[in-house]
Amino acid sequence: MKILIIEDEKGLREVIQQSLEKEKFIVETAASFNDGLDKLGCYEYDCVVVDIMLPDGNGLDLVSEIKALHKKEAIIIISAKDSVDDKVKGLDIGADDYLSKPFHLAELHARIKSAIRRKSHNGDNLIHWNNITLSPEQRTVSVDNTELTLNRKEFDLLYYFITNPNRLINKTALAEYVWGDYIDQADNLDFVYSQIKNLRKKLKDAAAEIDIQAVYGIGYRMS
Amino acid sequence: MKLQVYTLRYLLIALLGVIALWASLFYMVILEEVYDNIDDGLKNSKLLIIRKAKESPELLTNHESEINQFTIKPVPMGRYIARNSKDDDDDDDHQNVIYNDHKYMEYDDDYEPVRVLKTVFMASDGNPYELTITASMVEEDELMEDLMTALIALYIMLVVSIVIINYFILKKVWRSFYSLLDKLRHFKLGTGTAFTAPASPIDEFKVLGKELEALLKRNEATYASQKQFIENASHELQTPLAISINRLELFAENNTLTEEQMDAVGKITDTLSRLVKLNKSLLMLSKIENKQFPDETTVDFNELTTQVLSDFEDFASFKSVSLQIIQNEPLLFTMNKGLAVTLLSNLIKNAILHNRPDGTVSISLSEKQLTIRNSGSDKPLDPDFVFNRFARHSTNENSTGLGLAIVKSIITNYNLYIGYSFDEEHVFNITFP
Repeated sequence: MKILIIEDEKGLREVIQQSLEKEKFIVETAASFNDGLDKLGCYEYDCVVVDIMLPDGNGLDLVSEIKALHKKEAIIIISAKDSVDDKVKGLDIGADDYLSKPFHLAELHARIKSAIRRKSHNGDNLIHWNNITLSPEQRTVSVDNTELTLNRKEFDLLYYFITNPNRLINKTALAEYVWGDYIDQADNLDFVYSQIKNLRKKLKDAAAEIDIQAVYGIGYRMS
Repeated sequence: MKLQVYTLRYLLIALLGVIALWASLFYMVILEEVYDNIDDGLKNSKLLIIRKAKESPELLTNHESEINQFTIKPVPMGRYIARNSKDDDDDDDHQNVIYNDHKYMEYDDDYEPVRVLKTVFMASDGNPYELTITASMVEEDELMEDLMTALIALYIMLVVSIVIINYFILKKVWRSFYSLLDKLRHFKLGTGTAFTAPASPIDEFKVLGKELEALLKRNEATYASQKQFIENASHELQTPLAISINRLELFAENNTLTEEQMDAVGKITDTLSRLVKLNKSLLMLSKIENKQFPDETTVDFNELTTQVLSDFEDFASFKSVSLQIIQNEPLLFTMNKGLAVTLLSNLIKNAILHNRPDGTVSISLSEKQLTIRNSGSDKPLDPDFVFNRFARHSTNENSTGLGLAIVKSIITNYNLYIGYSFDEEHVFNITFP
């Protein structure tokens, strides 16, 4: 899987690259609008992560260019602006997702993976992890082909873990993903813990081969 | 006190004094003139009577003549000489004694004021006689009374006409001033509309208007640049914050750290997350104030409240706080949906967060009211400060101190009203127009 990151901020470019390479993605980077356009013209990618504010152009125009070239890349816009207008406009002209800075790396992974999955038309939209099979569209989970009933939040939690295997997941990122942006200011997020306890129990009862570990002070890691 | 009333009050007091002084001076002058007139008449009568007495001495014996208003009485010789050493017959004013007196009038059965002239003259028989002439002052007295009435009438008329003229002139003169005041009262900084002073024919008001325009323009510019600064600063902070958090995440992942080191990294991440929240809240505030949420739809608050409450269910049950919704009437209002969610979320989150174990949050909706009641500390909050930025009532380190400021900003943006009160429970009440 090849990913192109078009971001002018060196530090951010580096961390995104490092993080995605750990996921076994092949990552290329571009620091400007023209650089990005050149690479898009020469190579094929599975996903393009593009910043809106670039020194020599607008990321939204780059999205239009990709669409004009009839390329099949999944496109994720990242922006420091968090503007509803930009988001609506970006999705209108064909971007697959919009993520406002600052974001957690786990969140970016989840977005990239789901964008790529939606783009691939091979019909197999199921995610497998050991004996667990998860269907994001149907929102169903089965363990050894036996269906497991999870509520909405438990499903979202499991989905987030499975799209970020072996990664350290910050509890804030998890809470924001499952409970929405407004929960982030709520106290100490300890309530996330009780939800994960329920999920662990259900998975264990179904004999799922999954291990969700708490990482002291930070959050969780699934392996 | 209104400017008009204030001016008129002093004008009336001043006028009263001036008119009173003027009237008394005028009265005295006229009185002097009237006495002078009567006295001249009396002196003239005296000359005529003395001449007549010299021609026909029988007048001297017929010494009392009521009809003619004069009496002649013989005077002992010595007294006359003692009083009059010089003997000049004519023009002897200093021999005259003139005074006011009262005399009984049969016709009126009353005493009427009279002017009396007393003098002594040498008759043709060589004896001194005292002559007393009286002149009725009834008419003159009435004149004085009339004069007084006229003066009072003049005063009242003057005052009334001055009040009326002043009222209309002041009204006209200050009209442009009042319209300026009215415009100023409705002017709000940061709305983007420039202040234009109303036209005025008066130079001073023109200057005032121009100065106000310039002053407010400068203020507006300062306000805008401050807002711009907050917004830019928040924007610029986003990327470095993102890099810091992401680098820390990678660092924790790439290295095998001890539990203590992990905890330290986790604490730094949490603090950075707090900074992100603060930054996002500041951006949110500037965006609301800049009216960057133009899309408006009819928001069904009953539905939205139920939805937001369900989002907080887990959080509430973790804090063992029970949530309750009382839907009396449907509440519909046209506003930006995202802002409506922010409004409700911030209020409900606060109600759960600042609650006690086994506490309650109850939300009731009626046609124009949304009320959120929650149990919590026994101490009421200060309603004057609760909506201020960074007005923190708890030392909760996860609170940005901007939640209620954002609420207030949304409320102001849509001309709603929010009030806080305390009766055993904390009550936030939003009134919709």
